[in-house]
Amino acid sequence: MEIAARLIGAHAQARGKAKVQPNGEAIVLTGISKTFTGRSGTVVALEDINLTIQEGEFLCIVGPSGCGKTTLLRILAGLEKPTSGQVEIRVREPGKPVNSMVFQEQSIFPWYTVKENVAYGLAMRGVSRARREEIAEHYLKITGLSKFANAYPHQLSGGMKQRVSVARAFANDPSILLMDEPFGSLDEQTRVILQQELLRIWEGTRKTAVFITHSIDEALGLGDRVLVMTARPGRVKAVLEVDLPRPRDLTLIRSRPRFLELFDTIWFYLREEVMKAKASELQG
Amino acid sequence: MRAEARILSFFSPALLLVLWEVLARAGLVDIRVFSSPSRILETFLPVLFSGELLYHTWVSVRRIILGFLAGAIPGVLLGLSMGLFPLVRAALEPMVAITFPIPKLAVMPMIILIFGLGEASKVFTVAIGVFYLVLINTMSGVLNIDKIYLDVAKNFGASRWNFYRTVALPGALPMIFAGLKLGMGTALILIVAAELTAAQAGLGDWIWRAYDMFDIERMFTSLIMLTVLGYLFANALDLLERWVIPWKSPHA
Repeated sequence: MEIAARLIGAHAQARGKAKVQPNGEAIVLTGISKTFTGRSGTVVALEDINLTIQEGEFLCIVGPSGCGKTTLLRILAGLEKPTSGQVEIRVREPGKPVNSMVFQEQSIFPWYTVKENVAYGLAMRGVSRARREEIAEHYLKITGLSKFANAYPHQLSGGMKQRVSVARAFANDPSILLMDEPFGSLDEQTRVILQQELLRIWEGTRKTAVFITHSIDEALGLGDRVLVMTARPGRVKAVLEVDLPRPRDLTLIRSRPRFLELFDTIWFYLREEVMKAKASELQG
Repeated sequence: MRAEARILSFFSPALLLVLWEVLARAGLVDIRVFSSPSRILETFLPVLFSGELLYHTWVSVRRIILGFLAGAIPGVLLGLSMGLFPLVRAALEPMVAITFPIPKLAVMPMIILIFGLGEASKVFTVAIGVFYLVLINTMSGVLNIDKIYLDVAKNFGASRWNFYRTVALPGALPMIFAGLKLGMGTALILIVAAELTAAQAGLGDWIWRAYDMFDIERMFTSLIMLTVLGYLFANALDLLERWVIPWKSPHA
């Protein structure tokens, strides 16, 4: 932990100041709706989403599949425009990239080495080669990828590829981190290890983070708050405060009574929506 | 099993040559048409060492390389722009679709009318065959880049130029090479055809003159050189591919 904090170096120093100050609002969503028009008619993906995310907060979003979680994240990332509503993103450090995304699917460039992938955002911003190398190597180190710096993605396992994707987002040093089920396709053991690593790195930087998952365990383990979305059209069903102490040990935290309590509450909300989603799926 | 397969792959052509020779000596195949391996070798070695065959090979190689470059370079450039810009694609795709299926040999008389009997007509015949294959493969290479990489480039703030440089070009490279390899195969076909009809030199011309004199062995010597050329060009492209696309998985 201490080593990690020291390695984060320059980024952490800037962050340290922000931690002392009272946190402001990082993201304010007002009345966000999104409608897709396709050949088979229109689909309302999101309906009247109102949400405020504090700076330095780790927000997890859970919801039944097809509820528009990914669409919401893509709107936050600026990859998609809402049909109506307002997205307000307040950035404390204007020089930095606003957000970096860790995508759900395999998204690291097969034509770049691991190190080149991690440095991609920096290269796009015109950071000098020497500085780029330095930052990339640092993040390779803290994600345990140093040995694979010059490997190409096809030589890596699925878990390794997602590590690269996480390292790429962190190395870009954005104000906001957006993660779309980054560990969804991994096996259980790898997932727990990567969750723990993500927490460790995040605790060193305390960046505003929005993390989508369908796992309640994951949401509770990582998040400061958990937002439960309804079945399509996606709306905010409930927002829960996760009052579990940090830093967290993901294996120990699961046996805490408070964890189980929160788990039950979220499952209570989610269950209803999952049933609804299943029912509409069966209707076609 | 793998060792056996390798042994088999080595000995099956050798066996065929032996069989050919035996049948020819036994009079079971007509040596006036099919010749025999030993007779071909007897003709091949002198024309090889005298430099005569090498000169004609060089004439063909020069035409192939010039034609290949003249076809591949515009093919890649136009293919990239058609893949990247929907308007360019909309404007050019109908013409490509209509003219691509025309056998290139069918326009050779016209090419000769336009470019004359000299080098230009041979180079152009090769170029036009290579051009289409490279163009079409390059375009579909760009169009088939996984959309996720477009999102990544956008999310990480890639400028337009950086997008071309870091996503479009490397993403299309495997298909560009597929086009180049197909183009090389076509180039060999077209150069021989072009030289058969109206040439002063080259491996196609060599075959035609040997046919005129009914010198079967001489015809075969040109075929040997063409085989060698095909092998060398394919390997050169493979080497180039490995150098340009170091990320390509050996299993893919």
